[in-house]
Amino acid sequence: MSTALSHLEIPGLDNDSTFQELVLAHFRQRFGRMNSSTSTAIPAYHGFEKRVADVKAPKSDINALILDYLTMEGYPKAAAKFCKEANLQPQQPDASIQARQSIMHSIHSGDIETAISALNELDPELLDTNPELHFALLRLQLVELIRQCSGRDPTPAVEFATKNLGPRAAAHREFLPDLEQTMALIIFPHDKLRPELAALLSSDLRRNTAAKVNEAVLARQNQRREAAIRQLVRMRAWAETSARSDKMDLPETLDFGLNAEGTESRTDSGHEPMIMT
Amino acid sequence: MARVQSPPGLAQIQAAGTYSEQAVALRTLRDEIIGHVQRKEEYVQHGILDVLVEILQNSTRSPKRSSGKEPSQAGQPTALSEDDVVRLLALQLLASFANGGSAFLAPLHAAGVVPAIIPAISPNDNPSQVVLAALRMLSSMTASARLAQDADKTTSHLADVLFSTRSLEALCAILSQDSPDFGIQEQKRLVAGLISRLCKTTKDQNALAESGVLDALATILASFAVARGEVIPGAEVLGRADGLVDFIPRPAPPGADLASVLDALSTIVVHSRFRSYLLLQSPSILAVFPWAEFTAPAPETRAAWIALETHGLRPIRPRGPGAMDFLLPAIPILPPKARLGDFPPLGASPSREAFAANSNLSSFRFTGVEQSRGEVDDEEDSEEPESPLIPWLIHLVRTTDDLERVMAASLVASLFKAGFASPDREQYLAMLVIPVLYRLLSENDKEVPTPIQRAATVDSETTLRWTIMERTPEVLARLVGESGTLQKAASECGVIKLVAKLLKDSYAPHPVQLPPKLWSANPDRSNGETKELPPSRQLGLPGRVPAYAHKIQMRESALKLVAAMATLNHGHRDALIEADVAAYVVESLAPCPGKPKSSKDKSASEKGTGTDKDQPPYGLNPKTVIIAACHATRTLARGPSIVRTTLQDHGFAMPVYQLLKHPDPDVQIAASSAVINLVSNLSPMVKTLLDAGIMQTLCEHAHSLNPGLRLNALWALKHLVADLGNDLRKKCLEELEPGWLVQLISDDRSEEESRARARAEHRRTDADDDEDMESEGAYDGDSDWQRDWTWPGLNIGGPGRAVSPRLQQVSAKLTTLRDAEVNPTRRARNDSLAIQEQGLGFIRNLLLLPSNGELPDMVDHLFTEVGQDRLFAILADKLKVRVVNAFGRRATTSGSTRGRDVNNSNNNNTTLVLYPQARIVENLTYILVHIAASMPRHRQLVVAQTDLLKLLGAHLGSKDPGVRRALCQLFTNLTWLEDDGDKQPCAQRASELKRLGFLAKLEGMEQGDADLGVRERARAAIDQMKKPTLKDAQW
Repeated sequence: MSTALSHLEIPGLDNDSTFQELVLAHFRQRFGRMNSSTSTAIPAYHGFEKRVADVKAPKSDINALILDYLTMEGYPKAAAKFCKEANLQPQQPDASIQARQSIMHSIHSGDIETAISALNELDPELLDTNPELHFALLRLQLVELIRQCSGRDPTPAVEFATKNLGPRAAAHREFLPDLEQTMALIIFPHDKLRPELAALLSSDLRRNTAAKVNEAVLARQNQRREAAIRQLVRMRAWAETSARSDKMDLPETLDFGLNAEGTESRTDSGHEPMIMT
Repeated sequence: MARVQSPPGLAQIQAAGTYSEQAVALRTLRDEIIGHVQRKEEYVQHGILDVLVEILQNSTRSPKRSSGKEPSQAGQPTALSEDDVVRLLALQLLASFANGGSAFLAPLHAAGVVPAIIPAISPNDNPSQVVLAALRMLSSMTASARLAQDADKTTSHLADVLFSTRSLEALCAILSQDSPDFGIQEQKRLVAGLISRLCKTTKDQNALAESGVLDALATILASFAVARGEVIPGAEVLGRADGLVDFIPRPAPPGADLASVLDALSTIVVHSRFRSYLLLQSPSILAVFPWAEFTAPAPETRAAWIALETHGLRPIRPRGPGAMDFLLPAIPILPPKARLGDFPPLGASPSREAFAANSNLSSFRFTGVEQSRGEVDDEEDSEEPESPLIPWLIHLVRTTDDLERVMAASLVASLFKAGFASPDREQYLAMLVIPVLYRLLSENDKEVPTPIQRAATVDSETTLRWTIMERTPEVLARLVGESGTLQKAASECGVIKLVAKLLKDSYAPHPVQLPPKLWSANPDRSNGETKELPPSRQLGLPGRVPAYAHKIQMRESALKLVAAMATLNHGHRDALIEADVAAYVVESLAPCPGKPKSSKDKSASEKGTGTDKDQPPYGLNPKTVIIAACHATRTLARGPSIVRTTLQDHGFAMPVYQLLKHPDPDVQIAASSAVINLVSNLSPMVKTLLDAGIMQTLCEHAHSLNPGLRLNALWALKHLVADLGNDLRKKCLEELEPGWLVQLISDDRSEEESRARARAEHRRTDADDDEDMESEGAYDGDSDWQRDWTWPGLNIGGPGRAVSPRLQQVSAKLTTLRDAEVNPTRRARNDSLAIQEQGLGFIRNLLLLPSNGELPDMVDHLFTEVGQDRLFAILADKLKVRVVNAFGRRATTSGSTRGRDVNNSNNNNTTLVLYPQARIVENLTYILVHIAASMPRHRQLVVAQTDLLKLLGAHLGSKDPGVRRALCQLFTNLTWLEDDGDKQPCAQRASELKRLGFLAKLEGMEQGDADLGVRERARAAIDQMKKPTLKDAQW
């Protein structure tokens, strides 16, 4: 566990190590005590939940986590406001978050050309050095083109594929199936598609591609690819599964606490929908 | 001619009247080409590069903005003016072309892109975005050059431009920017990356060190220590006393990259005491890591140290541990074992291999820097404590990740090798660093999946893994090469097995070397008229796929590690041979390797038939691999039994011989160094090599202008000649030309002449030594090295500042160290001394007893060829103390920097007193020993050289036991009674020797010499001289 935790860091904050230690101590304490308490037949649910309630994470840590999430996932305005409210230093310059967000937005709304152009403006080397990402974007663009000319003359789509995607697929075998699948969209009517083809037209493809782009941009900026909280959530899941498989005494269900109270991120910034993948 | 119409984007750019129109056109073009290699090709063929360069040049403004508008305050990008935008776009476009691959390098060069970019990297004249774009462009070119088929050309061109005085200023300015902005951090990262990839020659290393780039990087390194909270406690207080407190930097911002800084520093510092010291004494390093005794707050920690000390597992040091030591675990240090005296074979000149072993392959040099090192160290280390930077770097190796570990180890290896670590550190490195490096290697050693093997680009994770794989063996090799302790630690980790595997893997046939061609809808469009295009429109050769470049790089790194592991220990050499590395080493000697044959199937002797010229299945070995293979051969051949069995079986002789004739002098030098060991110790290869004509080749090389080659050739001849019969020896002497030999061993050229020679010669010392100082003419003319160099560290705080006394002290020592490395006269003299030593060794081995009865013949032959009197005169001359005028060189400091140079500190007109070197005296004495072993007539002749004997007598008190042993032997031989007819002359000889006062001296030595061998031999000589027969025969 300690290794998993030690990867978790929140740059820009000087209290990250204390935070780590805290989490570590928290988990250690939790599992350690449980071990000893299993033999005694005291109902452990109560003990566990009580201990949960006992742990008080410092507010500054929680704030840092929230800011990290907002920054990494690209909510510049919320991040800026939150910084002001919580009296924190911004993690990234506003412009860079904004640029990322607008690229995400373009992809979500299907305007790939604008997205590529903005991406080139933000980081002209990214697509040059990451052919997989470029292919993913171009294929998404092809999907959008096909969507636009659905039922009409598919020539623009075919031309686009010949010019942009064909050469790549020939050189990279692994691109070929994706391209073939996409081209199949031109042939079949869109209302009666096999599920794997239909998936191409669903908004999931846009969303996934957008997430890929976001990760790639962040990686190029020498940063973690994802918000720290995602790692925390995964770690929690891992801890829970391993605890259960070791027959630790846990309550039957452990809530994330997201559904019960309706968290802030869901409610207050409705115009920036939260995407959890 | 039916030209294809130029693409619309180009016309649009050219037609644009205003900056804003141009910007629009450039943006469109950018979106069109980024990620599209085919379109890039098309645009290049239509001349886009010239257009872009022109835009860049036209929009470059005069540095008017230098009035101090600080670029981008804390992440607030300055709004760009229109011309800046155009420039930014042009740079981004050029970078995109450079990213297109190695094929674009040729047209980029032809269009003159690099000189056009350089003005844009100066952060004082440009907004930070432009600087960033320019650096990215340079970085992309460097990255593409790595894959290019003629990589050297591009990198050396880039290095020349980038490490020129003007660009160095800009680099310094970039690195000194104090801003947490991400863009600035990336700039720093790119600069550090450029330095580590481009800086290849000593000239560049010195330029970087002296221009202040080293100090700027050191400051960044110190800022990491601050950010990690690992500044020495009390540094501020100490700093105030030293006047250094202002040099404590601010903590490194989150985006900063530690690995690249460490890498760049280690690139600059490597193989040089001067530059290492410069780093250690950089003001920020001094400020952050002052030396101070420290009492650990926790009693347990202290207890561990005390326990080790009381149990004798750790020497009680004059100073207590420093604060940094407490970041590392306490490690037991055993006192060094008492050295056992060794008895070299009497007759043969002991191979200097044991001596050369001091320098591992990468620092192998003959200029004698090492020779003086031991002596210098003793003095320095006692007066100066080790910098806490060293334990801190070891701490970094333990606490960081991946590449940072490797780079921290690399830097600490350089500092350790330069002799700035305390002797205990060897044990620390053995226990704390080597296992980490081994684990990094084995953990990252993974199969490369096929798609990646073919891909033209690889993802960043694979790149990182590959970089770790490529760098780690090289760092290990550097660390381990000279130290038995560290080699033992490495071998206990399992490095030998691992390196054999790495080498084997690097010879797995590679599916493709060139990236696949892109499919095109109208394929024959680009063909045709390319030949008539100007060079800036012609694409060059395509680059290799990264996986292939990685494989070749791994080959080189693994060979380096093989060489380093084989330097000292027979057991390790045998283990390497056991692991079957020989088959791979021998293939690596060939520019176009065949299938490596393991010891089992070597009977099947079909050579790798070069089926496909473009893509040989095992790749092509570049110069670097061949040189590394030569060094591996050399160190493996230190085991005589290995030479006789494995190397002979694998047929090392011919490939090495071929390399002696390689066009590149570096390769020749490396090959000749391998020959040295292949022909020694009655090697069976001698016959093959002689048949091939090695004697002629070596004699030719001995006439070379290149001192490195001359030295190695003479050295190899020395070994070769030892095993030959008289007729072949005579032939060899004839081939070498006795006159030339005389010239080599006599030093009668005036210093002035040798200085001129040093200037004129295109000097390359040893191959991958990278010490080819004057090659580019950097130190041509003495004005350059002689010019008053002042340490930039003195000026960092601004001119008006009072200079800290500490820094002034440091500055004096730096000047001394620098002089020792950079001064061409000195280097020429060292070269000449080394060559003289080998020349004398050659004569000594010429006379080495072949079979009795032939010796007098050989001695007579030597006398007739060289001239009896001339020979004795030269020998006598060698023994004289020489006083040399040092050309009004600025007096540096008093005290010696070289063991044999003593500066009489007359401020302006320094003279150097050169004492004869022990090795030269030893070789010279053995020549006389051999002559004296021949026949009474020759003995008589030697005794008649009264002056020579007197001079030799002075060396009876030599510090070197080898010299004393040789002299005792000489007296034994001189008083040897041949037969009854010799009684009278023998008695005369003995009395003559007594008359010169040798008997008394010998008796003193028999009683009181520290060396057992000397005592024994002195006794034998005394017995001989006092023999009753002789007494009777006296009148």
